[in-house]
Amino acid sequence: MSDSITTRGPAFARPGRRSFSFGIGTTGLRQIGLIAVLLGLWELASHTLFNPFWSSRPSLIAARLWELALSGELWLHTSTTLQEAGAGLVLAALVGIPLGIVLARAPEVARTLDPVIMGLYGLPRVALAPLFILWFGIGLFSKIMMAFTMVVFIFLMNVMEGIRTIDPDHLDLMRSMRAGRLYLVRRVLLPAVTPWILASFRIGIGLALIGAVVGELIGANRGLGWYVESRGGQLDTTGVFTGLIVLMVLAMLANQLVGFVERRMITWR
Amino acid sequence: MALTDLALTNLALTAETPRPRAALKDLSISFPRPDMPPLEVVSGISLDVAEGEFVAVVGPSGSGKSTILRAISGLLTPSGGQVEVDGKAVTGPPPKVGFMFQKDALLPWRTVAQNIRVGAELGGTPTGEQAAQVARLIKLLRLEGFENAWPKQLSGGMRQRVSLGRLLAYRPSLMLMDEPFGALDYQTKIAMGLELLRVWEAERRSIIFVTHDIEEAVALADRVVVFSARPARILAEYKVHLPRPRHMRAMRSDPAFTELTEAIWSDLALPD
Repeated sequence: MSDSITTRGPAFARPGRRSFSFGIGTTGLRQIGLIAVLLGLWELASHTLFNPFWSSRPSLIAARLWELALSGELWLHTSTTLQEAGAGLVLAALVGIPLGIVLARAPEVARTLDPVIMGLYGLPRVALAPLFILWFGIGLFSKIMMAFTMVVFIFLMNVMEGIRTIDPDHLDLMRSMRAGRLYLVRRVLLPAVTPWILASFRIGIGLALIGAVVGELIGANRGLGWYVESRGGQLDTTGVFTGLIVLMVLAMLANQLVGFVERRMITWR
Repeated sequence: MALTDLALTNLALTAETPRPRAALKDLSISFPRPDMPPLEVVSGISLDVAEGEFVAVVGPSGSGKSTILRAISGLLTPSGGQVEVDGKAVTGPPPKVGFMFQKDALLPWRTVAQNIRVGAELGGTPTGEQAAQVARLIKLLRLEGFENAWPKQLSGGMRQRVSLGRLLAYRPSLMLMDEPFGALDYQTKIAMGLELLRVWEAERRSIIFVTHDIEEAVALADRVVVFSARPARILAEYKVHLPRPRHMRAMRSDPAFTELTEAIWSDLALPD
């Protein structure tokens, strides 16, 4: 027989494979080194070149972080912002993914809705924040809605594009075998758009954080955005930088999480 | 030359077959084009395929061979005439008609076994029996050891074998095959053809096999239908009297094989 397989023997990936490592490679070491150098330069410059009043310094920020962690404030603000951004992100996925599938499968409806969707997408949604505070109050809900409006279009458009790129042979095959709608969605459409959905999460995390923070800047009584805003009002640059750095770390961690899920879920690629 | 023995008229064929599995009646297909008259791809084709018969369709590329398969499977609506499967006019995809494409169309997110199982799931095999059916097909198609491989890890020949497994798992009574081995290298193509015959001879289902390879058509089929260039019309039909089971080497030196391929060659070379 003229059979051959590109990967010889039983070495091909099994679906249930569970191998990952926490080891830090040379790239990781170089990345950490770079960050250490940048922090060192910042620290040095704040002692020699400019007044730490304007841009604080890493040692002050570290001390503030420790202080906030001990008082429980760090957790209060972080968890608030995480809840807002997380709920907004999940809500956006729950609305955007099914809507994307429906619109991709009903091109007539999609064409009709197109100007409305593109109009809303083009709108600088940050500018909706005052309105949302007015409508939904200064609690969690207005921030969730901010995060939601920032992210939902990402899911919607990525899923639509993902479905457009499905091999037409797959759809013809399913039609010729009289597959039902549910079967088509579960076995073909959803698996095909899974990479697109994960990519949406990747982009959506940063946008959801922006939505939550913008909402907090306009009207709130806790959260990292509120903390940054209130520290800024008191000319406390160390406080402002502390809030920003926590936000940055959150986005980086969330990105890592999506990358990890991606590697686990899409072994077939 | 004994060409007159080989060529058979439609009349003689229908007389010896009881009820056709599939019937094309004066089928015409044309595609609309912007700012131009519609493109006529198939023009007035009538063809019956008997129960358990293996019919090959040959013709120049772009001659609408694939298009008639799409019409039979209900994937497109003809502009004239009618398609019947099991005596019923085709309006949408009819039951028990399986399609195999030139591209394997395997779902990349499903393993070999899971891809074959798609046919079992959609073919109505009870859930409890699907695993056993898939295991039988894996054995039949010599895919043991690759059950859990992803499609991307397989060679072209193996992928088509999985695709054939999925088609068989669907348990079709009519198999539509659109140049299924056309993208394979010569040796793999021969091996796959023999594989198909082995499976088909075990449980005879009707097959319409589209190809542009004349030798492949003659080697596999009971009957070869020759299409003209676009718009497709039937130029000739030949009954293949070669003994079964077919053996490639013996067949290639059989004068009947050579005569038949020669005859089809000259049919296709003629402008009309």
